[in-house]
Amino acid sequence: MEVRSQDERYLEAAAQYGAALHRLAGAYEADPDRRRDLLQEVHLALWRSLASFDGRCSLRTWVYRVAHNAATSYVIGRRRSRQSAWLSLEEVAAVPDPAEGEHAAGRRHAIERLLALIQQLKPLDRQVILSYLEGLDAAATAEITGISAGNVAIKIHRIKNLLTKRFHEGGGHGE
Amino acid sequence: MESDDMRSVWQSQGGDGALKLEELRKKAGKFRTTIARRNLREYVAMVLMVPYFGYFAWTSRLPLMRVGNGLILAGLVYIAYELHRRASASPAPAELGWENCLAFHRAQLERQRNALHGIWKWYIGPIVPGLATVCAAISLPMFRKSVSAGLLSLTWIAVPAVVLWMVARLNHDAAAKIQRQIDDLEGLSGDSPEALQNL
Repeated sequence: MEVRSQDERYLEAAAQYGAALHRLAGAYEADPDRRRDLLQEVHLALWRSLASFDGRCSLRTWVYRVAHNAATSYVIGRRRSRQSAWLSLEEVAAVPDPAEGEHAAGRRHAIERLLALIQQLKPLDRQVILSYLEGLDAAATAEITGISAGNVAIKIHRIKNLLTKRFHEGGGHGE
Repeated sequence: MESDDMRSVWQSQGGDGALKLEELRKKAGKFRTTIARRNLREYVAMVLMVPYFGYFAWTSRLPLMRVGNGLILAGLVYIAYELHRRASASPAPAELGWENCLAFHRAQLERQRNALHGIWKWYIGPIVPGLATVCAAISLPMFRKSVSAGLLSLTWIAVPAVVLWMVARLNHDAAAKIQRQIDDLEGLSGDSPEALQNL
């Protein structure tokens, strides 16, 4: 079996999932400077963790677990100082969209609205919606989050409804 | 826009690749230094208090006062030991990858809850016998003078006692709140309808 060093594994993981980690940091932190710090923290956590990666799960699962766990620790610490409340998917769906009725302002606007929605969510809801947006299926999401595949599938169904409602009623935000 | 389109919009966001390995090593070193400095600050604070209470334990004319200061000293040594033990028990970096998000989140909450529960046992509790003994050493001679003087001396003892009670109460409430969050996570790895309600 090929023995790979921590550095080699990190470079491979960052090459494959670097963009996903960047998007994930954006979903956990709105402030650009803090987002940059968080992204660096996630990369550092990934590099340190890969010294112990033994292949018992796929590299993708490992990377997402490390990233979500590190980012969740970060937002829990931040919440203690800010005392902001997190909402469940159901609660978010019940809150009127602040951008509703605005004219479509393109892809960037849609992403900003999506980020604003995700940043309000509880950690586990956030992890499921991000996995969905990254194109992971229910089984992969279940392996990363620890929520059963059945529950993830139902959760994804709710997420699809929420996204369709938010972004379809708003009137086509694509370019 | 349909939810599937939203996926492609989401994934269209570009992003950075790897950080430089040299930068990572530097950050890891800085991280270790920060932790070591934090631990050192706590030990130094403890060590500075040892000569203070040690002096009174050694030189006080009242035997009860000597015993009280000695007990405070022993309590501080125990707290320093606990600080060292707990700092060493921080999670390993690999834990972030071995544990799924649910297990990791639960473990974090349990750590916070246990820390709040334990703070009375290992951070405040160990110095209480010493403080109580010192208070008794001050109040007993006052009672010998007169009951009213003794009762008056008890009023200033009551203030720290109320503060300690309030700290214990706040910790208890915070731990109960965290326990409710842990309970909400129960069963999420299963497929029961109750579990789904908690999702």
